[in-house]
Amino acid sequence: MNAIEVNGVSKCYGQVKALNGVSFSVAPGEVFGLIGPDGAGKTTMFRILCSLLLPDAGTASVDGFDVVREMKQVRRRVGYMPGRFSLYQDLTVAENLKFFATLFGTTVEAGYDSIRAIYSQIEPFSNRRAGALSGGMKQKLALSCALVHQPSVLFLDEPTTGVDPVSRKELWDMLGMLRERGITIVASTPYLDEVRRCDRVAFLQEGRVQCIDTAERVLERYWQPSHNSPITHRLTTNSRLTPQPPPFQGGGEGYATECIQASEVTVPLLEREGDTRRAGGESERAVGAEFGGESERAVGDEFGAESVPVISVSHLVKAFGSFRAVDDISFEVRRGEIFGFLGANGAGKTTAMHMLTGLNQPTSGTGTVVGFDICTEHEQIKRHIGYMSQKFALYEDLTVAENIRLFAGIYGMDDKEIAHKTDVLLKRLHFEDHKHALVRSLPLGWKQKLAFSVAIFHEPGVVFLDEPTGGVDPDTRRQFWELIYDAAARGITVFVTTHYMDEAEYCNRISIMVDGKIKAIGTPDELKQQFRQPDMDHVFTYLARQAKRGMRAHNPAIGMAGYQCLIPNGIGTNINNITTQP
Amino acid sequence: MSKVSEGLTHSAPSLVGRAGGESLGGESLGGESLRGESLGKKSRGRVPFPSPFWAFVQKEARHILRDRRTMLILFGMPVVLMLLFGFAITNDVKNVRTVIVTSRLTPQTQAALQRLAASEYFTIVATVPTPQEAEQLIRRQKADLYLTPYPKGQGSGWHITVDGADPNMAQQWATYAQAIIGRSGLTSNSPLVLTPSLKLLYNPQMRSAYNFVPAIMGMLLMLVCAMMTSISIVREKERGTMEVLLVSPVRPLMVIVAKAIPYLVLAFAVLIIILLMGHYVLAVPLAGSLVWIVLVSVIYILLALSLGLLISNIAQTQLVALLLSAMVLLLPVVMLSGMLFPIESMPRVLQWISAIMPPRYYIEAMRKLMIMGVGIQAVLREVLVLCAMTVVLLTVALVKFKVRLD
Amino acid sequence: MLKYLLQKEFLQIRRNAFLPRLILLFPIVMMCVIPWVMNQEVKNIRVCVVDNDRSTTSQQLVHRIEASNYFMFTGRQPTYAEALHAIETSRADIVLVVPRGYGKGRSQVLIAANAVNGTKGSIGANYLSQMMAPSTQTSAATAPSIHTLYNPGQDYKVFMIPALFAILTMLMCGFLPTLNIVGEKEAGTIEQMNVTPVPKWAFILAKLIPYWLIALFVITACLVLSWAVYGITCQGPLALVYLLALLLALFFSSLGLIISNYSSTMQQAIFVMWFFVVCMMLLSGLFTPTRSMPSWAYLTTYVNPMYYFIDAIRTVFVRGGGFAAIAHQVLALVGIGSIMAVWAVVSYKKNN
Repeated sequence: MNAIEVNGVSKCYGQVKALNGVSFSVAPGEVFGLIGPDGAGKTTMFRILCSLLLPDAGTASVDGFDVVREMKQVRRRVGYMPGRFSLYQDLTVAENLKFFATLFGTTVEAGYDSIRAIYSQIEPFSNRRAGALSGGMKQKLALSCALVHQPSVLFLDEPTTGVDPVSRKELWDMLGMLRERGITIVASTPYLDEVRRCDRVAFLQEGRVQCIDTAERVLERYWQPSHNSPITHRLTTNSRLTPQPPPFQGGGEGYATECIQASEVTVPLLEREGDTRRAGGESERAVGAEFGGESERAVGDEFGAESVPVISVSHLVKAFGSFRAVDDISFEVRRGEIFGFLGANGAGKTTAMHMLTGLNQPTSGTGTVVGFDICTEHEQIKRHIGYMSQKFALYEDLTVAENIRLFAGIYGMDDKEIAHKTDVLLKRLHFEDHKHALVRSLPLGWKQKLAFSVAIFHEPGVVFLDEPTGGVDPDTRRQFWELIYDAAARGITVFVTTHYMDEAEYCNRISIMVDGKIKAIGTPDELKQQFRQPDMDHVFTYLARQAKRGMRAHNPAIGMAGYQCLIPNGIGTNINNITTQP
Repeated sequence: MSKVSEGLTHSAPSLVGRAGGESLGGESLGGESLRGESLGKKSRGRVPFPSPFWAFVQKEARHILRDRRTMLILFGMPVVLMLLFGFAITNDVKNVRTVIVTSRLTPQTQAALQRLAASEYFTIVATVPTPQEAEQLIRRQKADLYLTPYPKGQGSGWHITVDGADPNMAQQWATYAQAIIGRSGLTSNSPLVLTPSLKLLYNPQMRSAYNFVPAIMGMLLMLVCAMMTSISIVREKERGTMEVLLVSPVRPLMVIVAKAIPYLVLAFAVLIIILLMGHYVLAVPLAGSLVWIVLVSVIYILLALSLGLLISNIAQTQLVALLLSAMVLLLPVVMLSGMLFPIESMPRVLQWISAIMPPRYYIEAMRKLMIMGVGIQAVLREVLVLCAMTVVLLTVALVKFKVRLD
Repeated sequence: MLKYLLQKEFLQIRRNAFLPRLILLFPIVMMCVIPWVMNQEVKNIRVCVVDNDRSTTSQQLVHRIEASNYFMFTGRQPTYAEALHAIETSRADIVLVVPRGYGKGRSQVLIAANAVNGTKGSIGANYLSQMMAPSTQTSAATAPSIHTLYNPGQDYKVFMIPALFAILTMLMCGFLPTLNIVGEKEAGTIEQMNVTPVPKWAFILAKLIPYWLIALFVITACLVLSWAVYGITCQGPLALVYLLALLLALFFSSLGLIISNYSSTMQQAIFVMWFFVVCMMLLSGLFTPTRSMPSWAYLTTYVNPMYYFIDAIRTVFVRGGGFAAIAHQVLALVGIGSIMAVWAVVSYKKNN
């Protein structure tokens, strides 16, 4: 008997067909992936399987029980983590976990083993209220809450959005362990490396199953070809639309040279990586074609010569009580650079970004952004920067055009200019038809592209992006990065945090934060050489494992299991030494 | 599977223990405390109730306890309301600002004025030559009434001109003034008549507290139960936790019952505060049987909880739930339940509407039980109506409660 | 810049499924219903008679009760105890016991009123006793004559409608802005706003102006309805009514924003707001005269904008006072309002 049986399930919301005759089955103990672009119907599918929604047509059964008629039995057997799973903000970490454990008829103790790898990282904060955790830590806690019991079928709707790469791997290791115990797992994910860890994958598009097969074959047959064409198409349209950038002049601009180096180094590396990096490579080539541009934009003139950094920070500290969220960081970002600001969840990235954008006052240290002091001139800074927050940044109850108009108006543009630029922008994004659509009704990837375009609508000197592509499917992510490169080419400095290591490779320079300190800074290539790792993923993993905040030290056995082979012996022992020291 | 998890339980503590030992002291504390807690939980888990249920109740209680400001308001509100109604809000005639319009005083009018000034009811604030000026003073809210002596030759007496903006008070002021000024005149020529003897039952001193304490109970219990329950359920919907709760093995009914329990307790606490304050600070009698007072209150609380549940079914966002319960539920309840304004004086249509207001029956029943001290049979009608309403509302709420999303 | 922010606020109010309906319907329904409800007049008092006399005089007495507007005759009871039972089961409010020999003028009646509601009980009993002894008022020659200003019909609605202006302005302009900022906080959009160069005052002003316009709408609806439904019109200059309403709206919308700046959840904000509103309303002289309050309570009226508003609006609306008559109140409202508005701007933190 199959663990999950779905036969011709359809579901409509008004006029929109969310699911259209979907059928598949999952064998017991299988890890089954549901993938597809935003709005493909994944969440609807999960909800139907959990008996939260009634299908309009077709039947579905979980563990042999019909989701319509035998709701009680189904609910007794499934575990479910919804995509927008949210914790009780006013309960502490431990209380949240305990509540969910008890809710599912188990105890934290009994389930501890299955969540140790993830929960141990937030355990030091077990008395902190969930509302005070950083975004990624919340996600980890939510995951722990969803995994603490061991149902016979587990549904995970994009469980790793906003989670750092190391923890993602640990999560999938844990899922592997659960699978060994015979638990059936259905998960959706926008990460290709996670897709590859599924036994079988169903590719959903516009409410239909396009293909069910092993991950490799699905990705080869459906994901790649169908997504290559739009890219090339978009590239050509782009070049037609925007005035052809002047040929790139090598000299005179430090950042550009670096960019060249970066792409030169990265592309071969990506190719060497093969499958895992294919998505990145695709985009890299796209970028290569697109690269160059009007570097002599007006933005730079405001703060003088190119040698002056756009962002310059020294000994910046932010403490909340005795906890130093950001602990003495110093770095510089030059004009036109794409600066990747990496770090594990809770390493202090968002806090640092809040200080740079004038949302927070530093406890000590100094810094300037676009030539203004971050302690005293934060309102001037705000005039010259763009910002896209981790939470969704646009007003959901306004239309696309209204959102643009609002933010453009705030930066002092007049109606005529706004109207003109709005049309240009929407054309470039292919959003003309959705000009008057409510933002609420757009798929996530579109919202994020729009939010970014709005953030740079006033041509700021720097744009700060806090995990802009969390939860976005790979294709849209690639389009998003094209936009970033467009912006950089126009002279806008991009300061971006991300948990996608392929995205990290697109950056000119990156820094990696661990426990509030910057542990490494340089071009992706430099870092790889410095730490003797094959790619950014491993550089990140290597550095993030030194974190003490997350108490990774408690579970070297599990955490390292999958990667030991990749790390040279000497360093491996070194890590153990570091991490087990008090 | 159970076998596997058994094995895990075995190994888990040792692993955690070791890890804790090796790491920093501070860090191990986190692990230890968690483990301690879960062990405690296990021993507590032997109570005959299903433990997820109690976890729920605990969780809900924590939500309430964590929100200090709301707690403060919840418990401060009854106290402040009781104090205000008990001491500050009165209809007594006091300090009525009086203006005398005069050019010449006779000894008789002089005497009347002295009596007026001596009384605690009136304060003479000014003496002006013309009625026009006096009227100006009233218009500017500097005075409430003015006295004009009869013109010469028409005997001695006064015209009382009173600000009629507040008709009830105007009437009372005038009556008081009339009584004080006219006293001397009356005694001279009035025949001895037998006046009817008056007897004010239950509340001989006419203290307003007797009237409003039951009313405050009706309002606050409704607020705590209906408003807070509906908001707490809608908040879970809005934040997405409801999905998880629904998918959990706990029955949806249990989710709701568990949610209601802390609010029930809270409502009880509020009830006790009001009763204690009323009895000891405002000296309101608890004439009837306490058991019945509490029992009828329980029925009312249940009713309010079902109303809250119903609202949470209709409302999709906290904003709507709040506005629904604050403006659409609470306001009519305050206005139409006889809490502040007598139902008998309302137009017929509104009297009908007020007939479906649950607090009307509760307040009525409480007034009888607490103040009049009657037995349960005298409030049987009210109690039955409340019971019927509770059953209907609870049924509708439970039937309409969605075990799925929509 | 303000223009764009304002546009956003209006669009958001309009897009909300619930708010426009509330803003439109609530004042209208309230105006049509509440004046009928807010009625302290004592009417329809149920009288039950224990007639031990059974004479023609006692019969006449019952007829007089039946004929009166104030009373409803609900029947006779054989004994006083049974009459009391009628009170206990809410079938009567007042018991009139006619003793044996009443008709011969040897004894007087006993009036026993249910005084749980003290006002109602005593007023009812007084009416009844006046009715029993109609001849005592013959000495009217020396009794002072009474003249009632402004409200000759002694219509309670005249008193309550201006109060309703205050209540509606308070509800619409107090609660909605409270929910507004907390809502943005919970949705996370406020963070995006905080990174833009929007000056604090512009942000706050853009939040306040829509509610001022709503206040204007509410007042207009109130004025029109009070004329159309109740035939009650403003005695003083209309402009003053609008001025007062705007000042009250300024105060309440600022208070709402201050509370929401300090609150983290909607529930918290609404409870705190509710607390302030109830206290201010009860201590403002809306229902009961402030002068009857004990001195400690009376002192609070000096900082209570509701008190100034109620005082001023009744002067203008009922007594027909001009600006000079309410200058003091207007000044106080301007003062308190601007302090609150400044506080609202200051308490909104763009940078921590």
